[in-house]
Amino acid sequence: MSGSKPDILWAPHQLDRFVVCDSELSLYQVEPAGGSELKAGSLRLSEDTAATLLSINSETPYMKCVAWYLSYDPECLLAVGQANGRVVLTSLGQDHGSRCKELIGKEFVPKHARQCNTLAWNPLDSSWLAAGLDKHRADFSVLIWDICSRYSPEAAVAPEKLRLSAGEPDAGVVVTKPLYELGQNDACLSLCWLPRDQKLLLAGMHRNLAIFDLRNTSQKMFVNTKAVQGVMVDPHFQDRVASFYEGQVAIWDLRKFEKPVLTLTEQPKPLTKVAWCPTRTGLLATLTRDSDIIRLYDMQHTPTPIADETEPTIIERSVQPCDNYIASFAWHPTSQNRMIVVTPNRAMSDFTVFERISLAWSPVTSLMWACGRHLYECTEEGGDPAADKDIATKMRLRALSRYGLDTEQVWRNHVLAGNEDPQLKSLWYTLYFMKQYTEDLDPKSPGHKGSLVYAGIKTIVKSSLGMAETGSRHPWSGAPEKPGEGPSLSEERILALQLCGWINKGTDVDVGPFLSSLVQEGEWERAAAVALFNLDIRRAIQILNEGASSEKGDLNLNVVAMALSGYTDEKNSLWREMCSTLRLQLSDPYLCVMFAFLTSEPGSYDGVLYESKVAVRDRVAFACKFLSDAQLNRYIEKLTNEMKEAGNLEGILLTGLTKDGVDLMESYVDRTGDVQTASYCMLQGSPLDVLKDERVQYWIENYRNLLDAWRFWHKRAEFDIHRSKLDPSSKPLAQVFVSCNFCGKSISYSCSAVPHQGRGFSQYGVSGSPTKSKVTSCPGCRKPLPRCALCLINMGTPVSSCPGGSKSDEKVDLSKDKKLAQFNNWFTWCHNCRHGGHAGHMLSWFRDHAECPVSACSCKCMQLDTTGNLVPAETLQP
Amino acid sequence: MFVARSIAADHKDLIHDVSFDFHGRRMATCSSDQSVKVWDKSESGDWHCTASWKTHSGSVWRVTWAHPEFGQVLASCSFDRTAAVWEEIVGESNDKLRGQSHWVKRTTLVDSRTSVTDVKFAPKHMGLMLATCSADGVVRIYEAPDVMNLSQWSLQHEISCKLSCSCISWNPSSSRAHSPMIAVGSDDNSPNVSAKVQIYEYNENTRKELTSSGGPTKFEIHIVAQFDNHNSQVWRVSWNITGTVLASSGDDGCVRLWKANYMDNWKCTGILKGNGSPVNGSSSQQGISNASLGSNNPNLQNSLNGSSASRKHS
Repeated sequence: MSGSKPDILWAPHQLDRFVVCDSELSLYQVEPAGGSELKAGSLRLSEDTAATLLSINSETPYMKCVAWYLSYDPECLLAVGQANGRVVLTSLGQDHGSRCKELIGKEFVPKHARQCNTLAWNPLDSSWLAAGLDKHRADFSVLIWDICSRYSPEAAVAPEKLRLSAGEPDAGVVVTKPLYELGQNDACLSLCWLPRDQKLLLAGMHRNLAIFDLRNTSQKMFVNTKAVQGVMVDPHFQDRVASFYEGQVAIWDLRKFEKPVLTLTEQPKPLTKVAWCPTRTGLLATLTRDSDIIRLYDMQHTPTPIADETEPTIIERSVQPCDNYIASFAWHPTSQNRMIVVTPNRAMSDFTVFERISLAWSPVTSLMWACGRHLYECTEEGGDPAADKDIATKMRLRALSRYGLDTEQVWRNHVLAGNEDPQLKSLWYTLYFMKQYTEDLDPKSPGHKGSLVYAGIKTIVKSSLGMAETGSRHPWSGAPEKPGEGPSLSEERILALQLCGWINKGTDVDVGPFLSSLVQEGEWERAAAVALFNLDIRRAIQILNEGASSEKGDLNLNVVAMALSGYTDEKNSLWREMCSTLRLQLSDPYLCVMFAFLTSEPGSYDGVLYESKVAVRDRVAFACKFLSDAQLNRYIEKLTNEMKEAGNLEGILLTGLTKDGVDLMESYVDRTGDVQTASYCMLQGSPLDVLKDERVQYWIENYRNLLDAWRFWHKRAEFDIHRSKLDPSSKPLAQVFVSCNFCGKSISYSCSAVPHQGRGFSQYGVSGSPTKSKVTSCPGCRKPLPRCALCLINMGTPVSSCPGGSKSDEKVDLSKDKKLAQFNNWFTWCHNCRHGGHAGHMLSWFRDHAECPVSACSCKCMQLDTTGNLVPAETLQP
Repeated sequence: MFVARSIAADHKDLIHDVSFDFHGRRMATCSSDQSVKVWDKSESGDWHCTASWKTHSGSVWRVTWAHPEFGQVLASCSFDRTAAVWEEIVGESNDKLRGQSHWVKRTTLVDSRTSVTDVKFAPKHMGLMLATCSADGVVRIYEAPDVMNLSQWSLQHEISCKLSCSCISWNPSSSRAHSPMIAVGSDDNSPNVSAKVQIYEYNENTRKELTSSGGPTKFEIHIVAQFDNHNSQVWRVSWNITGTVLASSGDDGCVRLWKANYMDNWKCTGILKGNGSPVNGSSSQQGISNASLGSNNPNLQNSLNGSSASRKHS
């Protein structure tokens, strides 16, 4: 407490109080203070605590050090060491009825006046107080006072009188005879009592650390060192002591006191305080001068008397409790890792040092973390349903809703995905149109277009380059003819339009059905734009009117229709001028492009083509209708690259399921992590070489892995079946063969096990389905098959019903569910004890038993595989 | 978005690690009380401790699960300079009735001369392999040639990282398209050491682990995002299963969740205090505004957990 630098102390018993001392002593009480409002007169300590000043004591000037009386009563009794070496007992308590009242005001005076450096109360005998003083030639530097000694009745005249005279320091009782005097002609810088024994005192003397034994004051144990300041015993290991000197902290083991067991890295600035954390083993806090951080040393080292081989691990940490320099700090005696710090200008802050929080995600997006000794779990499930879920959760929910598995109505997959993502919608519609087109192709005609369909519009357009243009111009209906609108439609362009969904199958170029479906879905603006792009202004106006009059329609559509009807072909008309300026204010992109189209110069449709808010399929269809071959090719090329870069799934329309499509999907997956969509999309009809792309395989593997981790094993199996349709090589080989004990040949009857073997089983002369077979002997050598451990009948016989242990409801189940009954015929066995039998018999046995049914076999067959006992997650879902 | 609830862990000292098994139905925790606990999730979603045993003669730093196809296998590492492999065995039937399972030590790996700071099983397609790292900067890779015999582990590689290692992580790639890689994080706190994260790649041709640390030698390493919100040291980071949400914990005692939006901007989507209470948004952003202090090396713990990210070919 040099100069005006404040020090801070927690009360040892009243755990919500602390004292700040500089030139005076101020007692504060900590209160919870949630919210932003503070009580008048209280100071904010942290987000949820505040302090109120209870009392101030300025009776003791020249304070050098302060120590809080360790016994509970009287409360708030403090010993203050002064610059002249006197030790004064003073109080901040409001409890004036205390029976130890007479202690307050007592003074303990050394023979020669010099500075008192340190004070320490004996933790075992609460009346002993040790004081460490500066050096004096003819005096001792360590004085131990008994605060109850020399207590004479005349001194404590009456409690009332004492209280009256409390203001005058001289009025108290003056004690001049210490209980013990130690360390002659030496200086004492720091003191602490050893908890091992009441009479052991550790002192940091001038150039050594000394242990004084009060039972024999002539002897002392000492070790020469410079680290003599701030000696403090570790509250958790009573043989471990910390002391410091300048910037260095030394840790001592009192059982081998010759040298420090370790010294901590030296700090550039001198240390001012070092303190063990009372609530946590091996945590030491240090503070250097003019610093705003407190350095913490976490010693992972169990002190043992012998083993010095284990090198201690020290985890060093810095914490910054406040913005300012820290003058002093104090650990809270009981609150875990809590400390209070004070700055030179007496700003205080209440601070908790957090333990390292380790955390882990579970596969189902629940987060678990450990804070200190406590575990916390938090899940995303059940939260706000409106909140945007992470893709991991989305994929799990989509897997549950059989997303991707609707191979007939392919477009329905986006509904299964939650019908919320326009990109997914576009993707699945694209795939739907592609699929529809391939199916409609005449399978007899070996047309080149079949292979083109899944290759995307980019390839289709490329293939049409240089081909002769055929087709007819379409009359501009309902308005004066707009000349030169669009080239004629080649076969490839019609194909592209079909893939865009504008026109249906066949060569008939009619957007009518498409328009009506749009109108039905309430997409008035889009329908109007498509009608207009098909040069049917009348239909467009009609659609807009319809939209305006519909229930949810926007009345403004009428206004738009009105504007539309005023269309004029004249270059300099007012209409044209107004439209080109006002169209930018239209919020709907489709309305915007309609006017862009009408006001554009023939051949330049940038206002339509580069309006990014318009769906890609509409823009592409527009381009197919109006751009020349070279322009179209350039445009498609450019758009494709744009889509690829952005990972926009709408671009699959352009790239198809080609290498380009994989590139696009790659950036989509990079962006979203959605391997599910990527896998299902690529399994929709990609050629084999695309499917064999490393990246596609990688997505598929990862998606399968995800399903496995979620225990969606049924979904994974369904996915594998779906996959093997397109990629037969992904079908796993038969996993198990049962071979005859006698001839060593496979006894499998099943066709499913054979394909990869490349030979049928006809050579065994067995035919028919495996379950119907009544053969109970090896097809190779005609020796009998093993017997079921329960019914003792040779395998191969159909099971009628479970004998013995079967319950009535099971019988009903079996007769109801034929498939299950057939499963009962299966031959199953334990890999550990190699006993087995009919699956149905085995299952019913293990319902009531833990051990194998074979006599004297104690194998716990059913418990061997933990994963086998897990239930697939899908069956648990509602 | 997230609500936290407390679980009675009943560890006697600091919990150092939490780890989920492949299916997320089991969990292991380890602590300075030298013990490991195994937890099973009930049908109702509550966690029950089904095993607790003293594993080491020092703080247990990390615990990790092997893929279930190798059985129910755990590995732990400790301050006592060893790592251990544990296997659950089907115990006496009365054990099962009490809901307790029995774990036996299959091996103790004693090669390290210093505290073993992390242990991780390799992705399953590599077989039963285990990597450990230690405070003296050595990464060791062990292999159990016979997956049925967990007591035989041979030391395959020993890589010296020259820096005190604090954590390791395998690349999770389940395809064979990418060679196995290990990322090693260091807790060295000297400011003049640059490569605190090193990546080692196994090279099939030379049958050696190649190194690439920090600099753009073989891998192009670039910072995608940088978070300063913890205002202090970051302790642990962990990816969710798809690698789309990152959780981090730091010296401010908070758990933060990070998520990238479509523009690749990573944003903090949730803050939770270490004790589970939610942080009221306004005050949490106050506090100390200046940047990190001390040695601020985010641990690479559990990172690269995600499995989805498609990788560009380097």
